[in-house]
Amino acid sequence: MPEVKVESEITGTVWKIETGVGQSVAEDDVIMILESMKMEIPVLAPEAGKIVSFHVDEGANVSEGQLVVTLET
Amino acid sequence: MSDYQRLIEDHEAKKARFLGMGGLEKLSKRKALGLLDARERIDRLFDAGSFTETGLFATSHLPEARDRSPTDGKVCGFGDIDGRPAAIVSCDLTVMGASSSLNNVKKMAHIRRTATRNGMPIIFLNETSGARIPDTMGAQGTGALGQDPTQFLRDRQSPYVAACLGPSFGTGTWYTMLSDFVVMRKGAILAVSSPRVTSLAIGEAVDAEELGGWKLHTEKTGLVDYAVDTDEEALDLVRKFLSYLPSHAGQTPPVAPAPEESEIDAEKILSIVPPQRQKVYDVRKLIAAVADPDSMFELKPRFARVATTALTRIGGRVVGFVASNPMFKAGAIDPDGCDKITSFLVLCDSFNIPIVILTDTPGFLIGIDGERKKAPGKIMNFMTALQMCTVPKFSIVTRKSYGQAYLNMGGSRNSDEMAAWFTADVGFMDPNIGVNVVYGVTAESDPQKFEELKAEIGRETSAYDLASIYSSQAVLDPRETRDWLMRMLKYHSRAMNGGKSERRLASWPTTF
Repeated sequence: MPEVKVESEITGTVWKIETGVGQSVAEDDVIMILESMKMEIPVLAPEAGKIVSFHVDEGANVSEGQLVVTLET
Repeated sequence: MSDYQRLIEDHEAKKARFLGMGGLEKLSKRKALGLLDARERIDRLFDAGSFTETGLFATSHLPEARDRSPTDGKVCGFGDIDGRPAAIVSCDLTVMGASSSLNNVKKMAHIRRTATRNGMPIIFLNETSGARIPDTMGAQGTGALGQDPTQFLRDRQSPYVAACLGPSFGTGTWYTMLSDFVVMRKGAILAVSSPRVTSLAIGEAVDAEELGGWKLHTEKTGLVDYAVDTDEEALDLVRKFLSYLPSHAGQTPPVAPAPEESEIDAEKILSIVPPQRQKVYDVRKLIAAVADPDSMFELKPRFARVATTALTRIGGRVVGFVASNPMFKAGAIDPDGCDKITSFLVLCDSFNIPIVILTDTPGFLIGIDGERKKAPGKIMNFMTALQMCTVPKFSIVTRKSYGQAYLNMGGSRNSDEMAAWFTADVGFMDPNIGVNVVYGVTAESDPQKFEELKAEIGRETSAYDLASIYSSQAVLDPRETRDWLMRMLKYHSRAMNGGKSERRLASWPTTF
């Protein structure tokens, strides 16, 4: 099963994780929500798959390009 | 058998041999892979029976290669798309790799001259190994090239469209870069040189997908608009793109039947755009709700998604939308987003397509990465392009518009008519950030003071404040957006020029 690495597209903090390990997601489903520039910015699934692992916790700072989630497609 | 009969049979046999391209064996291998050949692609693209070929009997100029170079590897001609004439160059990979040669370059030049002189789009169906060896070897081989000083001059007299349907190197790549719309079949490669040549030149293995695959070009470089799975899908997208464009710059785009206004659900807008400014939404849904039903055709949808560019129709007339998309990076426009918007402005201005700008952005994305990607230069390129645009421009602030981005997105006199929804907030920067920048107070350091200062800094940033100095000409209920645009399109008609722009952006390079 190929793995897909999902990166944060923006620098900010992790506000809410909306999914769990093992959960199936469709393309463009919201995996987690970041806060940056006073906006709630979703991290979307780039393709359909199952969540293998999270690499950040709620409240963590993330920078642009940082790995936040691994999916299995 | 009469003399005429013999001549007719001989002629038919010759035609059949040339129409047979590189031979049955090569053609059936392609078919097994699900690929169309150069002529099947033309048949798929053009209205039935409309294709008229030019240069069927051209071959290599080298006597020893004449028998194995039917049509010299590039099938050229004219045909109709939805009844409108267009010109085509369709590469035939089964003949000498569809490589560029002395004679097929003449054919391409003829297509370009004829299309330009007579106002027809040109379609390049690319699948080519690059320059032909040995034709271009030596000083004489190389010096024989470049006999046409306007070969690569792109001044957008008529639209160019390219489909990359296999390997594309050299001339195939150059014409793709000059095109207004590019679609790629997944598995095709678009690069300066082939992986083999590149690998030999730099002395290391080169992965073809990494060098010029669809992901690279639809997501990172933005040189390709769409990637699709089949030749058929690619050709259908070529037809679709051209349905929004005039045949040449002297025309306005074709008008489609207007939908019944009773079909439009204006209330839907209120459920798409949340009034709370910290909530994101996908601006593509808003554009689709404002435009005629099912008329939205997004360009470069996987590239620089912070900006959305789309061709649409409003009341049957073609209109280009530029928008920041809060769904991605909060709608903060980055350097790639600037490039994407600039290239779209060039397209619209060159082909007489009015522009609507929807603004909901915290500003330009700032940061070290952006500066390294030349953000200041990109912002000014975008701004200059906007100010040079002479098609009708309409700007609507839906929620947020701050700082220089306000001007880039058509603020004040950078559009013909500007409106703000009653949800708009306009100022030098987001008040939440402004309090910290101006007073050094954050919500954490002193919550009460922060709220006070935010109220102060956030005063007089409403749509009504902007309208009070007539920098915007209307304050809109979001549900009025489509109606307002239809009325404005009518009054900003450019009637003195027959609806045409001055085309000051027509020779602007769009690949930066």
